[in-house]
Amino acid sequence: MKKHILSVDDEQDIRELLQESLGMQGYRVSTAATPEEARKTAKADRPDLIILDFQIEESDGFILIDEFRRLYPAVPLMLLTGAVFGKGAVREAIEKKVASYLDKTASLSDIVSEVRRLIGEPE
Amino acid sequence: MKENIEKRVLGLFFLMLLIICGVAWAAVKNIKASINKTDWVNHTHQVILDANAIAGDVHKGDACMSAYLLTGDKRDQENYRIAYRAIEPTLEQVLRETSQEAYHKDFTTLTNLIGQHINFTRTLVQAREAGGVEAARQVAQSHPDGESTTEIDRLIRRINDNQESLLRERDQQAVLQAHNTKIVVLTGIVVNFILLAFCFGLIRDDLKSRRIAATALEDANAQLEAKVKERTAELIKSNQALKKENLERRWSYQALDHQFRYNQLIVNSISELVFVISKGHNISRINPAVTHFTQWQPQELIAQSLDRVLQLPQDGPADPIGSALNEGRELQERPAVVLFKNGASAPVRFNLVPLRDDNKVVGGVLTVRPWHGDPPPPA
Repeated sequence: MKKHILSVDDEQDIRELLQESLGMQGYRVSTAATPEEARKTAKADRPDLIILDFQIEESDGFILIDEFRRLYPAVPLMLLTGAVFGKGAVREAIEKKVASYLDKTASLSDIVSEVRRLIGEPE
Repeated sequence: MKENIEKRVLGLFFLMLLIICGVAWAAVKNIKASINKTDWVNHTHQVILDANAIAGDVHKGDACMSAYLLTGDKRDQENYRIAYRAIEPTLEQVLRETSQEAYHKDFTTLTNLIGQHINFTRTLVQAREAGGVEAARQVAQSHPDGESTTEIDRLIRRINDNQESLLRERDQQAVLQAHNTKIVVLTGIVVNFILLAFCFGLIRDDLKSRRIAATALEDANAQLEAKVKERTAELIKSNQALKKENLERRWSYQALDHQFRYNQLIVNSISELVFVISKGHNISRINPAVTHFTQWQPQELIAQSLDRVLQLPQDGPADPIGSALNEGRELQERPAVVLFKNGASAPVRFNLVPLRDDNKVVGGVLTVRPWHGDPPPPA
């Protein structure tokens, strides 16, 4: 069975592009625009990887990270975000909480490589 | 090529048909000639029979007449008359039958000889009746036609010899003709078989070339199919690469846009006055705090000199901003005065950071904050 990735982002373009790009690689990608939607999706179909932004309209990404870590401790989390200052320091702080951190200026191929590194091939 | 072979095969079959027709025509002609020869042979045999019958009747008549001359018996007289009379119809028949033949004159001669012989016998009979046997003998010895029977025999023998010679000649011709017919038929058959073999060869070559062409076509199709598959795979790959590239471009665009909006928001949210200036001290951008603080509208400051809104102290170094930009250095906490739109002014402190593009200083960013005096030193 294809590995399941859950993408949580309040920006539709980001969700669509990630879904299309990772789908082309053979992964099964679900998307959620809100934390509530993300919770429901994860409950219905446990993901192999969760990609999320930490600045979400209806919640705080850090809270969501803690929640997912508690609910699904074996599922790796990838944080994808933009507009940060002092990338090195941020990375150091954030990577303690998640399996991987990338900013949104990273290329799609870099994101795909990171996904592959975290959960392996699509099947 | 295919049309050529069809034409050649049809041509060969037509030629074979012509040869068969020729052979049949020659055979029919020879059969007809043989039938004609048979008629002629029958005719010749009839002529010989007629001639022999005439000779027989002459001899029979002569015998009966000799008996009559010796005995004077009327029955013998009747017999020779019957025998001589029998000659006439046979002679007329043979004259009719040979009227178109070259040897017809022999029978004319024979007719004359028989006529003379009949006259001679009449003379003998008259002599016998007048002077008895002796008188008849004298006439027989002295009459010029006394030897006519011998001449008739000789002529008939010659006619028979001629006819038999003609028969032999015709036999030889018949054998020769049969031989020729045989050669014509055999030649026709052989030529037809050769043509048939040639046709077979042509058809076999044609089939072979068709098989080769079919194989070549199959190979070409297979190659084409392989190329199509290869090309399709390349196109799919290329399409995927394009799709990927397109996605990457869309991702970069949205990332840039996102980052720009984010940065804009952060800059706009700063309460300090932010000026972006060129190396010539002209304002290219400002943040909303500038308008809020000075009441100058952006269109009144953009592309205007920084002097319009910010004055540096007269007693300080000349053009410290220009010097700092030229040298690529920062300025920190420098005093200045902000000029409001309503003519009022307020003391401020400003920082300057050179704006670089590919390591070249192209302008600077000034952040200005109101100055309310030095803070008390820390306790």
